[in-house]
Amino acid sequence: MKIKAKPVTKGVAEGEAIVSNMPISFTGGMDPDTGIIREPGHELEGKSVAGKILIFPVGKGSTTGSWQFYAAFKRGNAPKGIINNTVEGVVAVSAIITEIPMVYAPENDPLACIKTGDFIRLDADNGIVEIITKANQ
Amino acid sequence: MINLETEQKEMLRGSMGPGVSKAMEILYAYGQCYDARQMIPVTSVHVAGNFPVLMDEGIEWLEKLAEDGARVSVFTTKNPEMFDLERAEALNVPTFYQVRQKRIHEVLKKLGIIPTYSCHHYLVGNVPKFGDHIAWASSGSQVYANSVIGARSNRDGDHVALAAAITGVIPEWGLHLTKNRKAEVLVDVGRLDLKNFSTADYKALGWQLGKKIGMKIPAFVNLPANIDIEAIKGILYTITVTGATGLVHMVGITPEAPTLEAAFAGPPPKTPDITVSQNEIDAAYKEISSSSEKKVDLVIFGCPQCTIQEIKEITAMLDGRKLNSETRLWICTSRWVKTLCERMGLLDKLNASGADIVCDIGAADGPHLYLREQGVRVIAVNSAKASYYAHNLFGMETWFGTTRQCVETAVSGKWEGKNHEN
Repeated sequence: MKIKAKPVTKGVAEGEAIVSNMPISFTGGMDPDTGIIREPGHELEGKSVAGKILIFPVGKGSTTGSWQFYAAFKRGNAPKGIINNTVEGVVAVSAIITEIPMVYAPENDPLACIKTGDFIRLDADNGIVEIITKANQ
Repeated sequence: MINLETEQKEMLRGSMGPGVSKAMEILYAYGQCYDARQMIPVTSVHVAGNFPVLMDEGIEWLEKLAEDGARVSVFTTKNPEMFDLERAEALNVPTFYQVRQKRIHEVLKKLGIIPTYSCHHYLVGNVPKFGDHIAWASSGSQVYANSVIGARSNRDGDHVALAAAITGVIPEWGLHLTKNRKAEVLVDVGRLDLKNFSTADYKALGWQLGKKIGMKIPAFVNLPANIDIEAIKGILYTITVTGATGLVHMVGITPEAPTLEAAFAGPPPKTPDITVSQNEIDAAYKEISSSSEKKVDLVIFGCPQCTIQEIKEITAMLDGRKLNSETRLWICTSRWVKTLCERMGLLDKLNASGADIVCDIGAADGPHLYLREQGVRVIAVNSAKASYYAHNLFGMETWFGTTRQCVETAVSGKWEGKNHEN
């Protein structure tokens, strides 16, 4: 299955998807030392997004989030790609300064089509998200 | 697609070096996300991140930008840092932070940023005029610029603001466009007894309104005609803590809102969308304070940094009395306001009481990392914003009250404001 989306940055990433139906804040919401989501009550609380392709509806929170994301990236704890339904400045700038692939405004809702654990390919050069292997199949 | 002018295309292509190219790349991608059509010139920039925000990786990012030849081309000032740059030893700031602060200071200078280390940069010449496009990466000052001065700034982060300072332009979207500056909700504060409100009460009001407004643009009616600038700052700097609005129309005060019709650019709602009751104001004090322990280690003023008027007021309230031996009193401000305090004899009076004026920092975040290491656990503040950040980011227990309650606390050593024990 392929989903078209608009690119924020360039590049291609392949990896395991981690999906959140809730918005994410990088300031206070994600630990740069581990990549673990630490916002109390968040649906990904306690789970690491490091090295995964992170799918969530939209960013939220302090504009200092791009510094937090950059530190997480340099420590090897950032996601390797981002898919958002709606683009928001903090997340976009985070992807731009770390040069990780990011797309938004997908034609099909990735929150419905993609499940945590699916192996996906995010091609930001061409604006295509592809599900390669579904989890538990 | 953003329509870039020839010089902007050259910047993106790298003709002016990799640093400028990186800055334009950030702005271009950011502008694309918001369907901007063009870049517009900015006249003023203010950047915010201090060490707790930047961390080592952020310092390295700035150093790389400077090494790559980037320099600001617009008047750019800097928000507060972690400690008073001239008194690191006296304040027992650990070497770990001093080393990092020195690197930040050097890289800011190299980039051409004015090292104001202040959040009242508009008191030292970074004053945009009505209608100017600016990039102020500090939520409180950003909403102040939009609402009091009538300059135009989005809620930009440091990377975007720095990129704008370097290239001199910013993508035209959001609050830069007149059509996006209309009021969206009507707020009536007329049910409150505002003529008896303290500045702290206005902060409690801002706290409750931020939650109700969220990201929307409000228009306020029934603010007192003689409301002073401290009360206005009290509302605006707090509203961005619990909400994320970038512009507040205060009818009769905001340059774009001489009338309610002007604020809404058309007929306003017939009935208010949002009101606040006195019960909610009272409840805000309890919500903003986190401490249940009466003994206070530190009373800290200055979020935003204290003006000369506030320091005069604090000095008069203290009236030469000595602080409790186990409680400290810090007044955070800018270097130039401290100079005024010296000239006016305020510094000597404060020091004789045991109080301290600390420059280059604000009461919300900077110093808390090492103050915690020095055993400071419970603090008293007259700023809702300082209370929120000190508690949520640095684990301090906080009491929030009026300036007078905080001063009395410094003298007695225990919280002298409202008691919120359950």
